[in-house]
Amino acid sequence: MTTGIGGDRDFVAEVLAEPGGEHLLTCMSCGTCAATCLVHRYEPSFNPRLVLRRAGLGLSQMVLSSSEIWQCSACDLCYPRCPQRIHISGVMRAIRTVAIRQGYAPPGPFPEVDEAKCSGCAVCTRACPYGAIERAAREIDGQERSIAQVDPTLCQRCGLCVAACPSRAISIAMSLAPFSDGELLLRMGAGGWLDRPGWLAGGQGEARILALVCQWSIHADSDWAALDGLQSDDLRIVSLPCSGRVDPAMILLALSRGADGVLVVGCAEGECHYLRGTYQGRGKILLLAQLMQQMGLPAERVAFAESAALDRAVLPRLVRELRTRLEALAQPLPTTAKL
Amino acid sequence: MVDAARHPQVEIVSYAEVERVDGFIGNFRAQVTQKPRYVKTDLCTGCGECAAVCPIEVPNEFEIDLAPRKAIDVPHGQAVPLIYAVDLDSCIQCYQCVTACGKRDAIDFGMEPETRELEIGSIIMATGFDSFDPSVIPEYGYGRYPNVITAMELERLANSAGPTVGKLIRPSDGRTPQSMAIIQCVGSRDKRYYEYCSGFCCMYAIKNAVLLKQANHDMELTIFYMDIRTPSKGYEEFYNRARELGVRFIHGRPAQITEDPLTCNLHVVAEDQELGQVIELEVEMVTLSSAAIPKRDTEVMSSRLALARSPSGFFMEYHPKLRPVDSPTDGIFLAGAAQGPKDIPASVAQGSAAASRAARVLSKDTWEIEPVIARVHPELCISAQGKRCGLCAQACPYGAITVEVGQPAVITPAKCHGCGGCAAECPQSAITQDHFTDAQIVAQLDALLTDRPEEKIIAFMCHWCSYGGADNAGTSHFEYPSSSRGLRVMCSARMDEDFVLEAFRRGAGMVLVSGCHPQDCHYISGQQVAAKRFDRMARLLQRMGINPERFRLEWISAAEGDKYARVITEMDAKLKSFDREALIAETRAARPAIGKRLARWKASPLMVDLLSPAEAEEVLA
Repeated sequence: MTTGIGGDRDFVAEVLAEPGGEHLLTCMSCGTCAATCLVHRYEPSFNPRLVLRRAGLGLSQMVLSSSEIWQCSACDLCYPRCPQRIHISGVMRAIRTVAIRQGYAPPGPFPEVDEAKCSGCAVCTRACPYGAIERAAREIDGQERSIAQVDPTLCQRCGLCVAACPSRAISIAMSLAPFSDGELLLRMGAGGWLDRPGWLAGGQGEARILALVCQWSIHADSDWAALDGLQSDDLRIVSLPCSGRVDPAMILLALSRGADGVLVVGCAEGECHYLRGTYQGRGKILLLAQLMQQMGLPAERVAFAESAALDRAVLPRLVRELRTRLEALAQPLPTTAKL
Repeated sequence: MVDAARHPQVEIVSYAEVERVDGFIGNFRAQVTQKPRYVKTDLCTGCGECAAVCPIEVPNEFEIDLAPRKAIDVPHGQAVPLIYAVDLDSCIQCYQCVTACGKRDAIDFGMEPETRELEIGSIIMATGFDSFDPSVIPEYGYGRYPNVITAMELERLANSAGPTVGKLIRPSDGRTPQSMAIIQCVGSRDKRYYEYCSGFCCMYAIKNAVLLKQANHDMELTIFYMDIRTPSKGYEEFYNRARELGVRFIHGRPAQITEDPLTCNLHVVAEDQELGQVIELEVEMVTLSSAAIPKRDTEVMSSRLALARSPSGFFMEYHPKLRPVDSPTDGIFLAGAAQGPKDIPASVAQGSAAASRAARVLSKDTWEIEPVIARVHPELCISAQGKRCGLCAQACPYGAITVEVGQPAVITPAKCHGCGGCAAECPQSAITQDHFTDAQIVAQLDALLTDRPEEKIIAFMCHWCSYGGADNAGTSHFEYPSSSRGLRVMCSARMDEDFVLEAFRRGAGMVLVSGCHPQDCHYISGQQVAAKRFDRMARLLQRMGINPERFRLEWISAAEGDKYARVITEMDAKLKSFDREALIAETRAARPAIGKRLARWKASPLMVDLLSPAEAEEVLA
């Protein structure tokens, strides 16, 4: 296929005029952003360099009609590395603004709010790193109520709201996202992993560990490949969109059903793909540990760790450390049946 | 270097610091402090027996800390002059060296720094460059991963006179690597650090790759680049040869390097743009082609020698195309990477050119300068009356003016280039510029505005750019209204705001002040002085009761005849849009205020002769 490079100059000018779009033409196509981009690993068709290149050449149809412009999650890992100091997610946002103005819509799916369950508490509003959830007044069953509403142009589908909602009123449809509660539980328990007695409860082998790993935190592709080799009957690795997506109820469930320890791995603070997700994930685990202590359970059984972009082979080390801690829990434990 | 050392008319002053340089072309005086070597220059034979017995070993700077040196040593084997020096910071003063030196008696721990004064005709700055420290780029891991090294370190590790006698080894385990990635543009072409292209890294990276490939054909060499720049004679052929030898070139700037904690191997992640996909390459060693950056004491030296620096930080040349070897200060010349990153052939060429430019000065008894220079009238200078001023010295781009409180300002004629910025800045009108005196300019205004001044546009133009632009408009036959009247001065810095006010006082309809574009100024920073001054103009005019729309400031280059024509056309249209009678009334109303402001200037002894009787009366009132 050949593409005429006549160039839609009006489109280029429109992007340049948008806040954030002013750096569109300074890109010299070095590819640093593409090689940094975490989205690129899951969506090889998404290449920030190419989006900027096409937009800069004025290939407006190609850019606006593609799904790529909606895929950048504005994690800004590329920004500090760009030798031209281009705020790439800012350019993306400018292109999106132009796209919306021209009648293009971002692709779904987005979290759905069950109006019957939503209490309007706004926990999700605070949990959302993108400011995509606002409350709006609605009349439901003759009553004026405040209900959470998701703005699809801002939502990045991280699921932090799903995990945060105390009323379980927000969900991401199962068929549309591999990170719904049901899907995650299914992957945790696949092959009857949660139906065996744990090592601490007298089971065979080593301490059984469930590792909930944020999919962005292990940065090197070869490390992901190595993780497949790590999978054993005593270690279950489940990837999440974000460590903030962890629901404490899931962890308690796993601990009550055969997991000796739960390890949650997120990105390093400041590198989180969803801006504040690591912060939320770590907070949840801290609170959970306190809660467990109050319940008389050893808090050592849960652990939270960060993995920075330049770390390599982190997971084996973290698993080893957690096993050591678990093995130190020498005394017989209170029965897990309490859970 | 050895030739220079042997030459009867060349004196090498090494291990010394230039503390101060005064004077001007042909008559410089430099104060130089000779640091103590603790070894007598005339007695040391360079035999090295002292170093052999010295028990202290410290990292060797010449080998980029990859090898040891002794506390008494020479910088490197080929050092000229070959005289040993004691590094007192690491010396334990065991005096074994003194014993080893024996009868030669060259070592003297009682030496003190010595200050000398040198009389110099011309100066060549050839202070070289520093190498960028890539440890500030976290994603490349330099300083954290032992097997990530810089190109300078590779030079030493692969050099047969280096610490490994030419055997390339990995710092982590001493093994010879079978694969290496070379990363280009580390710190250069990078707005986070140095925006410019270092220029010669492409060639040395290819050279290193070829040398390593020739030494070990099985070695995998991969060069990651943004653009390969091989523009000189024979360079592209060399690049092709590297490709033929099997050196791999990948178009893509690596985003990160991670280290395998067990093997210390490195994983380089980059987008291969020809493949259009992100690749991860495992190598045993990585070399970073780090930027050539200004020598760290460039700033100090630039203030000691009053030399300007380019935005990149290197010493600035007089003119990038026409006088690339001269510094803005006459008699000081630039050679090599001190002026900007360059490779060996270019450095040699510039060095030879600088030498011949310098010899041109030395071969003459007298030196002709341009007649347009500035003069101080000591009786008018307020510095002589004990007041702090110094505005003229601040405006001078050449450091030609010295001001000491209690003394009148002094201009060194040989350093003055005649921009006239000082004359315009002086609040006392105590400085005149020969051939462009205030009186001459007022006389020109007088002539230009005799007849129907309200229909005229007075265009102040700088000699080098705007006047050329106006000329270009004429020779290109661009049409523009005939209402403009040009008034040429050497630089926009010469354009005093008093001239503008005087033009309005005399009834001019519009005034244009035009100069070079900021980076094109013939007088380095004259345009900036003017820009700063005329930023205030609109407010001043408003205060005087003149509509600020009657004034315009434009930067017009010598090639922009079309811009000159456009500006004049626009100004003419604006002038015609004003009501003529109202304009005259505005001028008349503003005259007393302007006259009052200009009274002291007009009353100065340099101007008063020029006043008509009517004007003298107005000034006195």
